[in-house]
Amino acid sequence: MNTATRATLRRLAACLLGGFVLALMVGRQEGSLNDFGISFHQAVVGPRIFVFLLIGLVIFVMVTFWPRVVPYLTRPGVAPLGAGLLAVLAAQTVMNWYDPLVSSTGNGKFSGVRTAANASPNLSSVSVAFFGWLAWTLVIAALVACAAAIVTRVRVFGYVTAAIGIVGAVLAYVAHSAVVDLDGGIDHSLGVYADIVGFLLLACAGITAVHARAEVADTRGFLRKVMGYRPGLPIAALGVILGLLAFSTAGWFGALQINDTLAQAHSDFDGTGISSLALNYLGWLGWTLFGAAAVLSLAATYLRNRMLAWVSLILSVVGVVLTFLTLRSMTDIGAQVAPQFGGTWKNLGAGGFLACIVFSLFAAATAMVISSTSAGVRRNVRAKAPTDELPVTSMVKGFRRSSNAMPLLIIGGALALFYPPTLTLTWQNVLVGQIGVFVLLAVGLNVVVGWAGLLDLGYIAFYEIGSYTTAYLVGALPVKPPSWLQMSPLVSIPFAILACLIAGVLLGAPTLRLRGDYLAIVTLGFGEIIQILAVNNPGGFTGGPQGPTVPHPRIHLGGINITWGQDNLPYWYLLLIMLIVVIVLFYRLEGSRLGRAWAAIREDEVAAQASGVNTTRVKLLAFAIGASTSALAGSFFATQVGYFDPSLFTLQASILIVAYVVFGGMGSLQGAIAGAAVLTWLPQFLKAQVPQDDRQMWIGALVLAMMIFRPAGLLPAKRRKAELEGLDAAASSETAAVPRAGAM
Amino acid sequence: MSQSENWVQQLPQNIIIGLEQGSVYSLIALGYTLVYGVLQLINFAHSEVFMAGGFGSYLVVNGIVGHRHMTGVMVPLTVLCGVLSGALTGAAIAWLLEKVAYKTLRRSGAPKLAFLISAIGASLFLSNLAGKLFNRLPNNAFPTYFDINHQLFKIGNAKVTLIEVIIVGSAVVMMIFLDRLVNRTKLGRGIRAVAEDAPTAALMGIDIDKTISRTFVIGGALAGAAGFMFGTAFGVSNLMGFTPGVKAFAAAVLGGIGNIRGAMIGGLILGQAEVLIAALPFVGAQWNDVISFVVLVLILLVRPTGILGERLGRAA
Amino acid sequence: MRNRTLTTITVVLAAGALALSACSSSKKNTNGGGLGGGSSANNGGTNQTYKIGFVGALSGPNAQLGINERNGATLAIDQANASGKYKFKIALNAQDSEGDPAKAPAAATALISDPTVVAVIGPAFSGESKAVNPSFCQASPPMPTVTASASNAELQNQGNKCWHRIIPNDNVEGSQGADWLARTGAKKVYVLSDLSAYGAGVAGTMAKELKAKGVSVVSSGVDGTTTKNYNPIAGTIAASGTDALFYGGYDAQSALLAKALVAAGYKGRTVTGNGGKSSVFTTGAGKAGNGWYFTCGCQDATIAPTAKEFTAAYTAKFNTPPSTYSPEAFDAANLLMDAISKASASGTATRTSVLDALNKEDFTGITTQIKFQANGEVQSSSLIVNLFQEKSGAIKGLGNIKELN
Repeated sequence: MNTATRATLRRLAACLLGGFVLALMVGRQEGSLNDFGISFHQAVVGPRIFVFLLIGLVIFVMVTFWPRVVPYLTRPGVAPLGAGLLAVLAAQTVMNWYDPLVSSTGNGKFSGVRTAANASPNLSSVSVAFFGWLAWTLVIAALVACAAAIVTRVRVFGYVTAAIGIVGAVLAYVAHSAVVDLDGGIDHSLGVYADIVGFLLLACAGITAVHARAEVADTRGFLRKVMGYRPGLPIAALGVILGLLAFSTAGWFGALQINDTLAQAHSDFDGTGISSLALNYLGWLGWTLFGAAAVLSLAATYLRNRMLAWVSLILSVVGVVLTFLTLRSMTDIGAQVAPQFGGTWKNLGAGGFLACIVFSLFAAATAMVISSTSAGVRRNVRAKAPTDELPVTSMVKGFRRSSNAMPLLIIGGALALFYPPTLTLTWQNVLVGQIGVFVLLAVGLNVVVGWAGLLDLGYIAFYEIGSYTTAYLVGALPVKPPSWLQMSPLVSIPFAILACLIAGVLLGAPTLRLRGDYLAIVTLGFGEIIQILAVNNPGGFTGGPQGPTVPHPRIHLGGINITWGQDNLPYWYLLLIMLIVVIVLFYRLEGSRLGRAWAAIREDEVAAQASGVNTTRVKLLAFAIGASTSALAGSFFATQVGYFDPSLFTLQASILIVAYVVFGGMGSLQGAIAGAAVLTWLPQFLKAQVPQDDRQMWIGALVLAMMIFRPAGLLPAKRRKAELEGLDAAASSETAAVPRAGAM
Repeated sequence: MSQSENWVQQLPQNIIIGLEQGSVYSLIALGYTLVYGVLQLINFAHSEVFMAGGFGSYLVVNGIVGHRHMTGVMVPLTVLCGVLSGALTGAAIAWLLEKVAYKTLRRSGAPKLAFLISAIGASLFLSNLAGKLFNRLPNNAFPTYFDINHQLFKIGNAKVTLIEVIIVGSAVVMMIFLDRLVNRTKLGRGIRAVAEDAPTAALMGIDIDKTISRTFVIGGALAGAAGFMFGTAFGVSNLMGFTPGVKAFAAAVLGGIGNIRGAMIGGLILGQAEVLIAALPFVGAQWNDVISFVVLVLILLVRPTGILGERLGRAA
Repeated sequence: MRNRTLTTITVVLAAGALALSACSSSKKNTNGGGLGGGSSANNGGTNQTYKIGFVGALSGPNAQLGINERNGATLAIDQANASGKYKFKIALNAQDSEGDPAKAPAAATALISDPTVVAVIGPAFSGESKAVNPSFCQASPPMPTVTASASNAELQNQGNKCWHRIIPNDNVEGSQGADWLARTGAKKVYVLSDLSAYGAGVAGTMAKELKAKGVSVVSSGVDGTTTKNYNPIAGTIAASGTDALFYGGYDAQSALLAKALVAAGYKGRTVTGNGGKSSVFTTGAGKAGNGWYFTCGCQDATIAPTAKEFTAAYTAKFNTPPSTYSPEAFDAANLLMDAISKASASGTATRTSVLDALNKEDFTGITTQIKFQANGEVQSSSLIVNLFQEKSGAIKGLGNIKELN
């Protein structure tokens, strides 16, 4: 038997084994006390196992014939095809299509809408057909046609693909709006939009495949060209498309089974005593603002005219403000009409927030114009400064200088501000209580693990200290602080930070001379000790396993009265402020002298010491800064959730935060944020996809798969990436996606 | 009778209990230390190998014995069967783990912490898969095919039970076996060579991939056997691996990670420390989980590379 | 010729966008009926489906307790739907909280924002209850909740008007147990907790009440989630010279403790609470469980025929006998369905009407008689704590703990 056959056999065995494991993962829950292995037996005995073995076999065939497909993968059109297919698949299998169905039947996804559509006699037949069989048929047809176009490069195939793609997009839109119109519930789901984008991408793929002259696709170069053609123009164009959706069809106000578009809202709110500004906005002002901002920003980006850009920027900001005033007036009226359902900022559709995002997109586009036309001036100034930086550092800084940063920040900020209100209550809660808090924690741990290279497995202890300090200072613990020290939750944050700083230094000072894994186990021990201290309650200080109940925060400062309660959105904006402060500070820190010192001790501690870095001080600083971020998170968490107990601060939680940082891409701020966001979003997302009892298992499998295929993390730091691939290695995304042979 | 007299009176009994506890820690710690020796990595999924060994042997023993009660010569045979099936399951899971979570990452030259995360992913996956397949109870009793608490003999006023003899006995046998294996055989030489200097070992004709894979298998077999013994004594559950795993990891570090004899000694010391210190009247059992870490920190502050120092592996 | 491709693609995109905006013929919902499988359109009549929510741990380290409860509730709902007892159908919307106060709010809001959920069983644990009870009760309209297991003795004092509990709290179980121990001649008692919120609560009350009655107490704790080897603590208990042990903790751990105590030769009485009274204990402890006492605010399953039926049906459905809190969750589900049927007698049941009906309930379940006080606790007259004892693998009722000697 030669090596090739053996490798093939081994691969076959691996694939069949994979099928076997999959059979174990999908199936009934749990054995019983009497027949312990019942579920195990049922999973692998009986005909169902053959289905899974067949899946393994299919994967084996695909992997085996993959090398034959590879030469085609560099052809033009493959990248949009892949992206489009991915978008359509995601849209039609896992994404939500209609929110009210989620709560009523538990399935608001494509399949759920299909079931509902089949049972609705009043629904248009196009819609029923689309959800029934048409959508998938279109996808397969587009895939086949596009593959034919890519392989043969015959134009007809390309045009057919484009036609199918556009028809698919239109039908998806029509079918979805028919469903929404029929039922009239408040819908913020994104499934249909992902589907439309996917279909349009498929159309693009067909055109690209037959029209591109080059034999080898250069997707990145192409994208760079599009973005560089007129800076900001694509963003402005996107704004126009979204704006048309927002102002013409999207829901603006929904309660009591109505789902008003802008025009309907105007007729509904006419004569209800709504402020004239809002009424005018709903009637003509909104459209006018949008039109003016659109035309101005398109013109500004096309002509690269700074003056137009400034005007458009100001107009966009005015647009956001007016939109908000209008939304506020509408909900105030709603609260008067139906107090049991209404309330300020309640029952809003996605339209208003989408409009805000659209105005922000225009602002971003024009900001791009402003920054690109003024960049030359600034570059001259900077050139005079002495540059004695290392090449890697200047590379990092180069990214910072890039003209993309500003618009990206504006878009990100707009999403952070205006997207959360369109989320369902559950997701808002997850955003605040899970995603936001853990992003803050991961950003803090990134300083210790990612930048200074110190593996800290007891990070949760600082979170715990922060939470308990706040609980103590607000008087929630059995031991009360002296009355002059008792304070409100938000005021206690600096004290919590101080407590964690001290704890960080106390832990750090004796242990930092340990290296690598020894430090890991000592910090792990520290985390355990702090947690068990809280459980065992020495001196009755912590209250033991039954934790404290902490009041929600409020601010009474002169005329300002803000009270946080059960609603999640106010917490989100509070958290957003904290996040922005921390991220901006850390961003400055990364490139500072201290940041470079951390990089130095991470790469080679002895060399760093030899070149004059005070390693102990620098490490201690890393510990202290990480700890104080954790304290901030802990303090916020304690007052947001209102109750916590020591069972939250286990070793598993510490390990999870390390996983967030590494998963996202160690040593990069964006990576830590992305890692924490994805891994805290995933469990909630999986609730709708797999049996709830099995979520952790799927998370484990996904983390494992992710690390196998992308070992450097989601968004690796530039410096780390350079270590892995060399400074000038240009990894093309097309080839990196190919699984290595035998990798299983 | 004062409480400190109590402590002295219980001392012999507690030493025996500590020996039993420590033997289990040692067996698991050996897996950590072996892998650390060859890869300089903490195998965070090792605790799930231990758990898998427990479940594997449980299924086999349960299948053979059911609710029958064993006597005479059948008892050692069943125990042997359990140890073997536990070791086999452990070895198989460890082998798979290495192939899936480690080898692939090694090939792509991933940073060290990436291995940590893939191992955590694997650990999460394995323990929850076990929970799904079997159940999520905190413990499932092994079939009572023999009276595990049967008193064999007494040392002073300390009772020595059957299960204690089985655990300590088989642990000693396996440790001697492992020590021989690493120090006397060709495979052991390979493991030591890879631990000392992998590139040079490769130049000397040692297949590094195979050596690493076999190291995982050996460590997995030991942990799997430990899983059987632990399960017989205290029952199995899908989360049974975590705490002993962390303690065994501490034991490995305590003895000097990468050092085989260090892991054995570290495990035994931690086992004794936990039982004896927790029994002190002014400490109490609720501090049980802290004790091992306090001991560890104190020892590391005095000897930063553990009691025996790193020997198998390079100095970090 | 990049630029040509670029132009073409722009045209395609623009065509798509235009087509979209052209089709924007959104109209008011004039067709009357909504989506077929869709929202709770008031179609009244017999096909009305109400949902009961459940919040508890379905994954994570405490998953088994949550799963026990969910199974109990599922059984009750399936039985009711199959029997056609009610004019409506009931479905369960179970949300996993992992037993974690930080994750429970997301699970709770999922139920609050589901308009078809009219009542909730849970939250299962005391910690998550403290975190989410305010969100349930301050929602508009408030969501009626019935917890079948959160026994913390502070929950009833938090002023949550929508909150109900069908088991006695830690104080009741602990104090009556202490009373019995003192009355029956215990002079020195070892009180051990598993350091969970439940175990520490009930053990704390027990220790306090025993001390108040002049019994000397040795208190200690062993972490129930990390400890498997109970031999050291069993040795300490055996050497402590106590004549009784009270363990505040759950069944699986009690079983391990029972075995270790036998090995250590402990001679005193061994008592545990409701958390330990299940088949997991009897199978896990085997012979070592013989003679253990359980205090439980529940009726004797061997006397009440309904309880026997429940055990049989549960075992048939889930392949495993009911365990801790399964019967209580079964009761909670039946109680809520009864309340929903009363509320729907006069039109469609809403959260408000179900809450009203629930407050007026007088319901006989398999574990206890349920009639609520104003603070949400079951009325003290029906809060009977019974004593049980394991005898050769079966848990037998001994009767009301107040009347025993």
